Amino acid sequence: MIRVTRDLDVGATPEDLWALLWDVPRMVGCVPGCVEAREVEPNRRYEARLTQRVGPITLSVPLEVTVSKVAAPSGLTLEAKGRDRLLGANVSLSVTLGVAPSDTGSRVRVEAEGRILGKLGALGHGVIQRKAEEVIDEFGARLRRAVER
Amino acid sequence: MLRPFALYRPSTVGEAAEVLVREGPDAALYAGGTEVLLILKEGLLRVRSLVDVKRIPGLDEIRRDDGHLSIGATATHRALERAPAVHAHCPIVAGVARHVANIRVRTIGTVGGNLAFADPHSDLATLFLAFDGVVRLASPSGERDLPLAEFVRGPYETARRDDEILAAVRLAPWPAGTAGAYVKFGVHERPTLGVAVALMRGAGGDAVTDARLAVGCVGPRPQRLPEAEARVRGWSLADLARHAGEVAALAARDVDAVGDLHGSAEYKREMTRVFVQRILLVAGARAAGRDPHERYPHTVIV
Amino acid sequence: MNVIPIRSSCSIRVTVNGRPVELDVRPEALLLDVLRDRLQLKGAKRSCDMQVCGACTVLLDGAPVSACTFLAVEADGREIVTVEGLGTEERLDPLQEAFIDHAAVQCGFCTAGMLLTAKALLAEDPAPTRQRVVHYLRGNLCRCTGYRKIVEAILACAHER
Repeated sequence: MIRVTRDLDVGATPEDLWALLWDVPRMVGCVPGCVEAREVEPNRRYEARLTQRVGPITLSVPLEVTVSKVAAPSGLTLEAKGRDRLLGANVSLSVTLGVAPSDTGSRVRVEAEGRILGKLGALGHGVIQRKAEEVIDEFGARLRRAVER
Repeated sequence: MLRPFALYRPSTVGEAAEVLVREGPDAALYAGGTEVLLILKEGLLRVRSLVDVKRIPGLDEIRRDDGHLSIGATATHRALERAPAVHAHCPIVAGVARHVANIRVRTIGTVGGNLAFADPHSDLATLFLAFDGVVRLASPSGERDLPLAEFVRGPYETARRDDEILAAVRLAPWPAGTAGAYVKFGVHERPTLGVAVALMRGAGGDAVTDARLAVGCVGPRPQRLPEAEARVRGWSLADLARHAGEVAALAARDVDAVGDLHGSAEYKREMTRVFVQRILLVAGARAAGRDPHERYPHTVIV
Repeated sequence: MNVIPIRSSCSIRVTVNGRPVELDVRPEALLLDVLRDRLQLKGAKRSCDMQVCGACTVLLDGAPVSACTFLAVEADGREIVTVEGLGTEERLDPLQEAFIDHAAVQCGFCTAGMLLTAKALLAEDPAPTRQRVVHYLRGNLCRCTGYRKIVEAILACAHER
């Protein structure tokens, strides 16, 4: 189980931040390596492709993303599932985003949990955990840039 | 069984680069194949071409070059073990090469392949850091040198650009009077922990004037431990014998440890402490003209 | 630039157990498969398939390699020795005799690899120490014997020469 929790201070109001998060395709577009994010059912289901490399090995997964919990305007949980057919890797993720007001504007908490099953596990939990942390850190940075504009 | 691929055998760096750039992620470099063939077999990598660099002249040379020991990328571990230039200038490298993997991998596997694959569990990458290793990358537009610490960016990830091949790694031989040692520990095919230490001493002096301490296999990439190195500077051999534990504790504190099948991060940190202390004492003994011949389970001391 | 295009074969000439062999192989063909399936030399075994266990050991120009992780095309112009190349119909190789005399064979799965690796060692170092034998054979795994008899057989064979 991969687990990453990050707290981010963002110079924007909680309302502005929520507007970005709730715009799921745009928010998912802030995830590095996440492309082709599109709406299937408004506010409920989305699709995206996540591509990430570890050295010579490339993981490319078409994800079905579902909004499983909403507590507007402060919290939102997404579940994502997919399979990289080439690698034989099954990916399942759960990401909870929480928004609260703070001195700088808002604080975002990102709690991500996930499993990557299959041959990719040969890389070792540690390598995958580190990669997940890098991805979430970059996601946070892009989120901040997108909303502070 | 492997999925089909084309095999390119360039005779120049330019030819190799041409294929690499054209094929992009559909091509992989190939020398001994001891890493790339494994991940192809596991299905973790798919390629349409392998680019065999073994026919590029000069890439397997091991020689003294401008005060450095230059080890060509396609030199095998076996060749490294036997090369006169290695025995003359960096003899511990031959000793460590002798213990890489197993006899079959040493026959075929190359130094360049080892460094360029950047598996975190690498003896040579760890040891070469203690020799201020610099890699030489060759491309159609020329050559560039990069410190090994910058070349290895993370697990299985290097700074090699798409049109480059690793041509050689250059080591700075330790000055006369240096007491060095390498320890590797583990029960698996690949080492769980590797520590390289070098204690430099001034002419006729007992004090340590400079030190190198590199720890590998426990984290995303091997690393030097500058604070631990700084701590021993100026120490006498007696200081070292008494306070090696302090340095080991510093090393354990500073090392970047990541859990995997070899053990948890906590375990690796503790093993770092244990083995840094042990190898410092070995180096100290060697500096005093003794070789303690300590034996520990699942441990090789070079 | 020498190129073997994808899905095309190239002709290789290999000396196998002293006899010249000409074969057409694809770039991705592994030496172990060529030896076992095309040349019917079943001594080398596919066991771990990741060059760790040594059951697939063959000698390439006298040095041990893992046939499971070796491209057949690389054997072009070179000499391969498999366990079938040790000794003759009339007389076993002294190493094979030693293994029998010292009961160094149980299930036999690792034996081909052990013999060939030992052969390579003794060619390099006719009078190895026990430590040297153990180090050289470290990459050959045996699940039956506990290794002691294998090491004794090799030392006895070296001593006898």
